[in-house]
Amino acid sequence: MREWMQEKGEQFREHQRDGPNYVTGYQDKPFPSNPLFVSEPVLSEESREEIWRKVVQEGEAIKSVSANFGVDMRRVAAVVRLKEVEKAWEREGKKLATPYARAVMSMLPKKTLSKYREFEPINEIHVHSYTQQQLFLPTSESRHFTREDAAKAFGDRILPADKRVPHPELIALEKELLAGTSPEEAQAAFEKAAMESEVAAAEKDQKRRQQEEEQTTRVPASRFEFRFKEINVDDGGKDGRSRRGTGWRYGVPFYDRRRGEVKIPTKVE
Amino acid sequence: MVVKIRLARFGRVNEPFYNIVVAHARTARNSRPLEVIGTYDPIPKKDTYDNSGKLHKDIKLDTLRAKYWIGVGAQPTDVVWRLLSMVGILEPKYRPAPPKPRSLPPKPDATGTPSEKTTS
Repeated sequence: MREWMQEKGEQFREHQRDGPNYVTGYQDKPFPSNPLFVSEPVLSEESREEIWRKVVQEGEAIKSVSANFGVDMRRVAAVVRLKEVEKAWEREGKKLATPYARAVMSMLPKKTLSKYREFEPINEIHVHSYTQQQLFLPTSESRHFTREDAAKAFGDRILPADKRVPHPELIALEKELLAGTSPEEAQAAFEKAAMESEVAAAEKDQKRRQQEEEQTTRVPASRFEFRFKEINVDDGGKDGRSRRGTGWRYGVPFYDRRRGEVKIPTKVE
Repeated sequence: MVVKIRLARFGRVNEPFYNIVVAHARTARNSRPLEVIGTYDPIPKKDTYDNSGKLHKDIKLDTLRAKYWIGVGAQPTDVVWRLLSMVGILEPKYRPAPPKPRSLPPKPDATGTPSEKTTS
């Protein structure tokens, strides 16, 4: 060990070059005895700034930024959110741990955005567990069996792949290109569709909030505001034990602390 | 038997959470009630993006059922009475007393006590 530290290990004592400096010597494999572990590159500082600029300053849809740079929509949203926090801290005059961030970033594999090479696969379909079963469905040979039919065969509420894909607009774009539309026109149509879908999602969310607000009575009392939300007793079903019912359920174990349950927050509100 | 509208404590240690239930008065607190008409979360919460430091408490209530049970003679406990009076189902039972004109207690002599100490 000491010998190794004096000979080969000396170069790992201090981090010198930009980028990862793994013991294995490879750029993406940090653990010598686990070659299957691949360390994924992260977005570089400039790339994150660029994403924030596109979304916030130029007002592009998150979907189109995601498609143009090949970054997952959720990652784009997270980058924008964190950048906003960073900017807010700067405005407040809070001190940022920039040297620390720079040191960590210099040790990680990085990728810079480019229009011609995607950062990560963005249009992957989540595999629904219902669709993993083997299914034999006798149909007539003449029948045109589409993806819609396949979804219906797997379950009544399973959506077809075309609807579950994160960027259905990209499919439309390719179809238009195949039909002979010029790339510029198709791109413009894509941007428009992406923006429309984002606006529709925002409106839906707004509507949901409004509906919730309408069902809530706010009573300012003492130190706290009391918020009464209207519910329906019948949601609990005939025996009152349905999961949709209100309140702690009777005669049903509550497994929120069981081993294997996810106990950390899984979403940002 | 008397039917009461009362709270049933669920949740965890230091993490109370109540079901607002309609139950017979003599049954155990957490036994299966006649009906669960709502919940009461007594732990004050903040809004996610609100920095004003204001706190709120969340209550879920089926007001129709609450009115029905009151109408047929169910007796709310004091705590439930207070909650139901907030949404106007019942008259408030306890009103905050009007602030009394406070007469300040006579000021102790400023030089009295310390001077005694110093002398002793």
